[in-house]
Amino acid sequence: MTTTRTLRKRTNWFKRDWRLYAMLLIPVVWYLLFCYKPMIGVMIAFQKYSLVKGMWGSKFVGWKNFEFVMGLRDFPLALKNTLWLNLMGLVMGFPVPIVLAIMLNEIRNKGVKRVSQTLLYLPHFLSWIIIGGMVLKIFAPTTGVVNATLLKWGLIDENIPFLTDGPTWQLTYTLVGVWQNMGWGTILYLSAITGINMELFEAAKIDGANKLQQIWHVTLPGIRSTIVVLLILNIGQMMNISFDRPYILGNTLVQDYCDVLSTFVYRTGITNAKFDRATAIGLFQSVVGLIMITGANFVTKKLGEDGIW
Amino acid sequence: MKKMLSLVLALALVLSCLCLPASAEVAYTTTLRVEVFDRSIAGLNIEDCWQLRYAQENFGDPNGIKLQFVPVSRWEEGDILTTQISGETAPDICVTYNGDLVNSLIADDGVKALDDLIAQYGQNIVAFLGENLLSYGTYDPDGDGVKTQYTIPARRISVVNQGAFIRSDWLAALGMEEPKTIEELEAYLYAAKEAKLGGEMTIPFNYAIFTSNPMFAMRYYISAFVDFSQITEEDWVALKDNPEMLPGAKEAFKLFNKWYHDGVLYENFAVDTDSTIGDTYMTQGNFGYFLQQYDQPWRTDKNYQSEMAKNVPGAEWIPVNAWANIYDGRTLHDNYDAAGLTVFIPHWVSDETAKAAVMYLDWMCQPENMFAMQNGTDGINYEGLDANGLPMNAKPTEEVPDDNKLHAGDVVFLANGYNFGDDAKNAAYVALSFPGYEENVAKSVIYSNTDAWTQLSFTVPIEAATDYSGAVMLKQNELIAQTISCDPENFDAVWDEYIQAIKDAGADEVIEAYRQAYKDGNWRGTFPGTK
Repeated sequence: MTTTRTLRKRTNWFKRDWRLYAMLLIPVVWYLLFCYKPMIGVMIAFQKYSLVKGMWGSKFVGWKNFEFVMGLRDFPLALKNTLWLNLMGLVMGFPVPIVLAIMLNEIRNKGVKRVSQTLLYLPHFLSWIIIGGMVLKIFAPTTGVVNATLLKWGLIDENIPFLTDGPTWQLTYTLVGVWQNMGWGTILYLSAITGINMELFEAAKIDGANKLQQIWHVTLPGIRSTIVVLLILNIGQMMNISFDRPYILGNTLVQDYCDVLSTFVYRTGITNAKFDRATAIGLFQSVVGLIMITGANFVTKKLGEDGIW
Repeated sequence: MKKMLSLVLALALVLSCLCLPASAEVAYTTTLRVEVFDRSIAGLNIEDCWQLRYAQENFGDPNGIKLQFVPVSRWEEGDILTTQISGETAPDICVTYNGDLVNSLIADDGVKALDDLIAQYGQNIVAFLGENLLSYGTYDPDGDGVKTQYTIPARRISVVNQGAFIRSDWLAALGMEEPKTIEELEAYLYAAKEAKLGGEMTIPFNYAIFTSNPMFAMRYYISAFVDFSQITEEDWVALKDNPEMLPGAKEAFKLFNKWYHDGVLYENFAVDTDSTIGDTYMTQGNFGYFLQQYDQPWRTDKNYQSEMAKNVPGAEWIPVNAWANIYDGRTLHDNYDAAGLTVFIPHWVSDETAKAAVMYLDWMCQPENMFAMQNGTDGINYEGLDANGLPMNAKPTEEVPDDNKLHAGDVVFLANGYNFGDDAKNAAYVALSFPGYEENVAKSVIYSNTDAWTQLSFTVPIEAATDYSGAVMLKQNELIAQTISCDPENFDAVWDEYIQAIKDAGADEVIEAYRQAYKDGNWRGTFPGTK
């Protein structure tokens, strides 16, 4: 009797949930097709890749592509800038959406809340081409809005080199990025905050906690796991940097500060059809990213958090 | 499921049978797919336009060839072609400006040899390009001394490259003559600044860096400071991409540094590299001098002249030729090589289709066909012919029907520029196509041809250039930006730092490879030599 029941239970799981599995099939196929199948292509990192002979006909050359690329003058520079810009972005940009989400959550007037949310999301949808033009008009020396105004008011004697001095440019780059992404970043936190049991807030209120204490003792612990997961994911992205943002915001005067791995790959791999070299750098980035994300996950688990797996 | 499939297949069969006799009265034996650059011209459908039908009627139908135009974005053509070649979906006739791609394809046996086909079917190609130009498409990838025709170069009808422009209204206001030397130009720039001829925001010299080709302008300025008696032809060829290392080059940078700090030179040149802000100054008439393509102020797509004149009545750009060499007085200009873009046929194309391809190129080179394909139809694209047989009142793209909007250079890709059979007619037509500015354009062409030398190129692929050129160019951009804007006291230190950076980025390897190519005789172009 009991054995037949467990047997039926086991065979029924598919019959019962096949719709869910069918739905799951779509992302699984997507991953197989677009994430796993292309992985075979990393082998061209070890080839002298020929467009004509293709992936299966090209000659294997071992680590030669890696040696060439890493021996170039600009490689260490691009690597350093990538890590540094990402670190600055993480340190300055990561807390902002959390603070913003908490502030948005405390706005009582629905209308004000919606309008400010929409305005905060807006920059996320602007392409970097447009932002690049805006940045130039706002921060350019002498003629840019900021410098022109400050000069006119006599607050500064010399231009603030937002775009023309390396380290200052890196700060500009980071802050523009924070501005663009902070609104969008609040979405996950806001939904996490909504998930907190309201009774906790009421209990805190009864215990005499003021607004700040409620935030500190209820809201923040409530979204702690979300923060941790996002932090780990962000650390895994430390080696990756988008192409358009540094390429568009950068300029000749700050070349040694704005050259990052993506622009480096574009120059040494894509523009001269050396795809084997571009792939070599890509593989290197992925391996380091994997090490970082695993490391971060390991550390968080040791600290008693859930981690991402 | 099986039933469904067979039904679909049967239906497809029936449909295709129905369609065939309706669309094709001629029995086509070959389909020829021809790449055509797509410039995203609004309204134009490249796959079905007047030129395609004209070619189909006059070339395709008589020869049983079905022609197809394959649009490829002009601005991403290299990337798209690369993808199409790796997937073997590229057109039968490929057209590209990406020399690296062509070199690597030839090295991998990816391109069809054309010697026999041209000998048999390409008489008009040879006649139009000439043996010499055609030899630009010959390569010797295995190094056995036997050259094979792998590509066909397009012929540049006009080889004129850069031109400089000055404000005639400013010269008049200052009571100055057109400058003929650097000193006279300097006097003009400083006087214009002093007199604030462009208002509060007067920027006498619109210096531009041209980041994708920084030596386009810099080489021109440098040439005025080089003592040509001090360099050999070999040095000249070896330093093809590094004119900043020529003796005397530093002086040009030093002069710009001085001008920059005296407020004569456009302050934002290093930041505003795509002229986002500069174009505003241009139309507001704040600039007093600039260097660009020889016809830039009058081009229809960015007509600086007419835009400026709208805002500043009487403002006018005229050509000027002031960068006279300080040793011998020559105004050196580099002209384009006569070979333009590269045409080739990928290796997998069948012999039958390759034959059709060469026949099509040959048809394109016949004078009457070239005229029709380039100029379109009388009454639609132009109105009548003048005494020389040149089309009159050629209409700008936006004024002709969508069907006739295809760019002449994109469809007749073997001719880079309008061709009417002889140089005099071609030059006359260039000036004619700038109505209202004929004199200025003609004068600009004369200036640009003064003391002109032909750009250098190599007949063998230079591996070092493929590997390092991008990085070297980036450092050259930095050299220009940093030495011009740095504190004059630090000039020498900054100069040394970036020259070293250029060398570290791979310039030494490139120079060495070019030097070797010179010694092996694998180069083309001219050395200006001494006067």
